[in-house]
Amino acid sequence: MDEDKRIVLENLNVRYSGMETSQLKNININTPIGQIIGIVGNSHSGKSTLCRVLAGIIPKIISATISGTYTIAGRSPMDDWTAFNTSTGVVLQNPAGQLSGLADTVADELAFDLINQGTSADVISKRVANVAAQMGLTDQLRQKPESLSGGQMQRLAIATAIITQPQILIMDDPTSEMDPVGRQQFFHWLTTVKDTTVFIVSSEIDDLCEVADSIWIMSEGELVSQGSPQDVFNHLSPEWQIPTPTVYQMAEKMNWRLTGDVFPVAAEELKEAFDATN
Amino acid sequence: MTDQSMLSDESAGKSKWYNAVDPITKLLFILDMALLSFAGTNLIMEAGLITAAFLLLVFSKISSTTVKALGFSLFLIFTMLVIQGLFYSKNQTVLFSVLGINFYKEGLMYATTLGSRVLVIILASGFFMVTTTISENAKYLEQSGLSYKTVYVLMSVCYILPEIMGNMRKIQQAQRVRGVNPQRTILQKLKSVLPVLIPLVIKTLDQSMTRSISLQLRGFDNPKRKALKADTHYRLAGMWHIGLTMIAVVLIGWKLWTKINGLF
Amino acid sequence: MKTEPINRTSMWKFKLSAATMTLIPAAVGINYVAKALAEGLKLPVWLGSLGTFLASMLAGPVAGAISGFINNVIYGLTLSPISTVYAITSIGIGIAVGILHARGWFSSAKKVFVSAIIIAIVSAVISTPLNVIFWGGQTGIAWGDSLFAVMVANHLPVWLASFTDEFVLDILDKVCVAYLAFFIYRQLPQRMVRFFRDDK
Repeated sequence: MDEDKRIVLENLNVRYSGMETSQLKNININTPIGQIIGIVGNSHSGKSTLCRVLAGIIPKIISATISGTYTIAGRSPMDDWTAFNTSTGVVLQNPAGQLSGLADTVADELAFDLINQGTSADVISKRVANVAAQMGLTDQLRQKPESLSGGQMQRLAIATAIITQPQILIMDDPTSEMDPVGRQQFFHWLTTVKDTTVFIVSSEIDDLCEVADSIWIMSEGELVSQGSPQDVFNHLSPEWQIPTPTVYQMAEKMNWRLTGDVFPVAAEELKEAFDATN
Repeated sequence: MTDQSMLSDESAGKSKWYNAVDPITKLLFILDMALLSFAGTNLIMEAGLITAAFLLLVFSKISSTTVKALGFSLFLIFTMLVIQGLFYSKNQTVLFSVLGINFYKEGLMYATTLGSRVLVIILASGFFMVTTTISENAKYLEQSGLSYKTVYVLMSVCYILPEIMGNMRKIQQAQRVRGVNPQRTILQKLKSVLPVLIPLVIKTLDQSMTRSISLQLRGFDNPKRKALKADTHYRLAGMWHIGLTMIAVVLIGWKLWTKINGLF
Repeated sequence: MKTEPINRTSMWKFKLSAATMTLIPAAVGINYVAKALAEGLKLPVWLGSLGTFLASMLAGPVAGAISGFINNVIYGLTLSPISTVYAITSIGIGIAVGILHARGWFSSAKKVFVSAIIIAIVSAVISTPLNVIFWGGQTGIAWGDSLFAVMVANHLPVWLASFTDEFVLDILDKVCVAYLAFFIYRQLPQRMVRFFRDDK
């Protein structure tokens, strides 16, 4: 097995210092890179902690008792933190807290990550314009970052994460403050991302089913299910308290099944199931 | 005083003469003016310094911040004139009497000297306050060789304050909805501060935690970091720095020399 | 929940961690907001050192001293120039709080009172010469200054009058701030206390 092309977590346990119980329990994953992976679970299921491990925040920035191993594309945050950190882009839960706190304009905020890497001025201005266009922030480039709305702030946070063109993108609930149109645009944008491993925590199950290659379900610190969206949502356990996608619910009501006796979870599959039934 | 005055960024307009003077020169200017005003007790010289600083302000611009700072000090200077004019320990010569109360020359002179010094400092600082912007200072400090970390620690509060004030207003509104009784005693008032302060402090510190994590993830301490060149061009910055620093050194040296000589 | 004295290898950390780096501006912001609240409620205290107290308690005397210093410098350069010189007082407060907290003098309500008095003394001792140099000994607060005037009128030495003027104001302020800081610190989530305490 080519370790350089895989995400490997082995017997991973994480417990924050001073806490009684573990936040992550015995996580095992071995899956190819380059996918979009949706992480789903209720609050306090360990999603955010998992994101922190994937980004190397645990144990490099927040101390925790950690056992087991984690490598992605052959790299571990423990080996060469700077190199690992440069290869990741991270969107944290709280978009306002992610801003540098020393930028006059949205453009300055975006340039920050590139300046840190010593990028030249002309490359910076090109990339800033490009990323702003992707995230629909072109009109806001001259504004103060703190004047943005919640949704715009979140798009800015995403823009700061992708401006360094990371190979790994980790996003913890990046659409929580976006309006429906903004959310739709974001998930559409996600399908255009190439050659990047994307981890995205979200409660937007319908959208995840449309874009994700894999879904991981977290429950009480354990990874209880992983696989394609279709596979995972056709085998939910009621204990996890995860809702089924709208497409699934419709198909179940109409009894439109795919081959293998499973229900569809995405629009394309729904059409397929409809055609198969009629 | 509002948060606005702490953040009075002027919009990028056309460049004025004072924009060509760098922030450090302006700070050294305040230092030199303060040292000059402390160098002697000659009131004519103090008057000269006040006039110079005042004219500089008139030829740059006068903002409400300076007026407010002056207002508070003028009131204090007035009370100082009264107290020292009446009770200064070296009082001997009666200058004038109001309703049979004697005001003494020595005390009034002493208070006037102190008051003049305060005015010199406020007016000289006023020039810095109204002619530089926070972002200009932040950029200039990093250009002058300070680390991003140092600049951040110094200046970031000006950027995050609006957010903290915004959070405070939100919390206060929520408290008002819940209905808070009017407070009378100091203890009651102090207790009424807690329901606002506790969530505000927690929220603010929580933001700093996130910000600290985010800054590290975004690589602020990457040794490759290279600050971009600022668009502002300062004229003769090096010459000003050397000149003004030398004046400061001479003034301090002279003051120390006379103090030491005074001991013998 | 009881706050326990913190066992650090050393409370004197001169290299700023990334956590302290974002804590300091937050502390200065808290100072500003607390002062604004006190002014809004017309409280007879300033409360403008609350953030400095918290920074010292969370990250040690150096962090507190820097918070206090920057607080006065920024305040001086944006709002009230003379307050810059009182940066020295704020440094003293930050160091005093940091040491007292590390030695366990913020662990119970009784001890906090002792701490507050010590901090008030530190603050008044440093402020008095500054008050004399810049304001002939006054503080600019009416009832403190009337006390000053009475004492000077009775031929007491200026430094004593000035110290008394400053100290009566400081003792009230620092007792209030110390109890606020003590109370707020106990409400902080443990993950937060750990995060800012961590040596990294």
